[in-house]
Amino acid sequence: MPRRRDAQGLLLAAALGALAVLWLLPVVWVVVTSLKPTANIIRVPPEWVPWPATLEHYVEVLFSSSRTARIGRAFVNSLVVSLGTVILVVGTSALAAYPLARMRFPGKTVVFSVIIGSLMIPNAVVLVPQYVLVQRLGWLSTYQGLIVPEAAVTFAFGVFLLRQFFLTIPHELEDAALIDGANAWQVFSRIVVPLSQPVLAALGIFAFRSAWNDFLWPLIAVNKAEMFPLPVALALLRGAYSSESYGPIMAGAALSALPLLIVFLIANRRIVEGVRLSGLKG
Amino acid sequence: MARRRGLTAYAFLAPGLLLFAAFRVYPLLDGLRLSFTNARLGRPAQAFVGLANYERLLEDTRFHTSLWNTLFYTVASTLPILAIPLLLAVALNRGAMRTVLRGAFFFPFTLSVVTVGLTWLWLLDPVVGPFNYYLGGLVGRGRSWLSEPGTAMWVIIATTVWWVTGYYLVIYLAGLQDIPRDLYESAALDGAGAIRSFWAITLPLLRPVLLFVFVTHIIGSFQIFGQVFVLTQGGPGDSTRTVVQHLYETAFQNFFAFGAASAMAWVLFAIILVFSLLQFRLLRGHTEL
Repeated sequence: MPRRRDAQGLLLAAALGALAVLWLLPVVWVVVTSLKPTANIIRVPPEWVPWPATLEHYVEVLFSSSRTARIGRAFVNSLVVSLGTVILVVGTSALAAYPLARMRFPGKTVVFSVIIGSLMIPNAVVLVPQYVLVQRLGWLSTYQGLIVPEAAVTFAFGVFLLRQFFLTIPHELEDAALIDGANAWQVFSRIVVPLSQPVLAALGIFAFRSAWNDFLWPLIAVNKAEMFPLPVALALLRGAYSSESYGPIMAGAALSALPLLIVFLIANRRIVEGVRLSGLKG
Repeated sequence: MARRRGLTAYAFLAPGLLLFAAFRVYPLLDGLRLSFTNARLGRPAQAFVGLANYERLLEDTRFHTSLWNTLFYTVASTLPILAIPLLLAVALNRGAMRTVLRGAFFFPFTLSVVTVGLTWLWLLDPVVGPFNYYLGGLVGRGRSWLSEPGTAMWVIIATTVWWVTGYYLVIYLAGLQDIPRDLYESAALDGAGAIRSFWAITLPLLRPVLLFVFVTHIIGSFQIFGQVFVLTQGGPGDSTRTVVQHLYETAFQNFFAFGAASAMAWVLFAIILVFSLLQFRLLRGHTEL
């Protein structure tokens, strides 16, 4: 009986492994395509080994394309916007979550309910008024025009996530510091923040991912080619090249996946943890 | 003393609340106001037009089509998006290599919707794409899945399933971890097989997680945009035009009609709210068993 179960388990693992490989084949295909010379890309039957390999498409989209926004520039834009969003989200939501977890003050319930309730607002609903606001501020096609609205969206989730965590920190540590004469800011910055590093990192990765991949907002909020973030630049790359030139498009797609792939390989656990925690918001 | 504590609390809250009030609360309310005006891109003077924008939506057949398409997408994608990650999670939960396999399925979720769209566009290329090359014998050679009205929406659904399965898989796996193992052991002692345990233990205890996945998916799918934008631009004809795609075109591509687009946004918001509340009602009742 146990032996039969072992065999079943092995079979299941093999089937799942095969399915996982199949699941990743589209990604492999993108990378393989991006490394082939143009003439080999459209060859049928499909060739899965990119030989001879070339980096010409990467060079073209990064530096020398005259047809569209340069992916190299878009890459930098995306980095600036995503890192800016991470700093703003982690900073504001950590500060806001602390009193919501630890202090008693008038209006606390209302503030918390309104913030959590906003998680139900679909982004598409505020698209037009947000555009009107950002335009009035003169922030169209600027970094702050992408960072600030992006951070405002993730702020509510950040408050929820961090408050949950702050509630689990034992009171004794803070009480001891307060008796020693520390003020609220010192308790927050010297005790709470250092203890919360894992959850702050999880929130940071979450904010990075959503800023890095956001498409609809930058599509309308940016109308200068040199300010496009990656998803917008990529979508326009598709229009700039005919469908026969999949090489540059796939090189751009592979490049856009790179930062999160690196983060993912280094911090697989942490990303998954962040997602898992995000699942608790319901 | 109480007053000072209040001041300290609000000093901590101030930056976040400022951000939140200016870029979440204010736009939400301003959108409602805009929906009663004839606001337009680049027209500073706007007039109050009452319910005119909403009335026009009643006659806007393209809006009706987009609403129908969005509904179709939502309904048709719900079962695969609820079931596929769940089956994978159950299969992965006890097995070897859980972390590696979970990582493999999760990876597409780290990609942007544009990258996902471009990937599938290339895979499904009618002439040189590998999908038609390998499966053409089964499903018909040289078919252009994205330019046939009968198949385009299904491609969008399949693409989305590929994209988000890993996300829901992780959430299901976390839920499965919380189910006490001894429940399965005593069920096995009573002679219950794997399938029986799934229906009798796993599914009922996973209800809160299922509710979360269900609500998240519904809210997300009513707003589907990126996949459509990259894969079909709403075509062929109007067959994949969804509400947000139509809203985007109305406000930023064709008419620059901010008032009309805001009315659409609020109709969408109302539908999403009704759906979410219904789901909470329906599933909450059972969870409290």
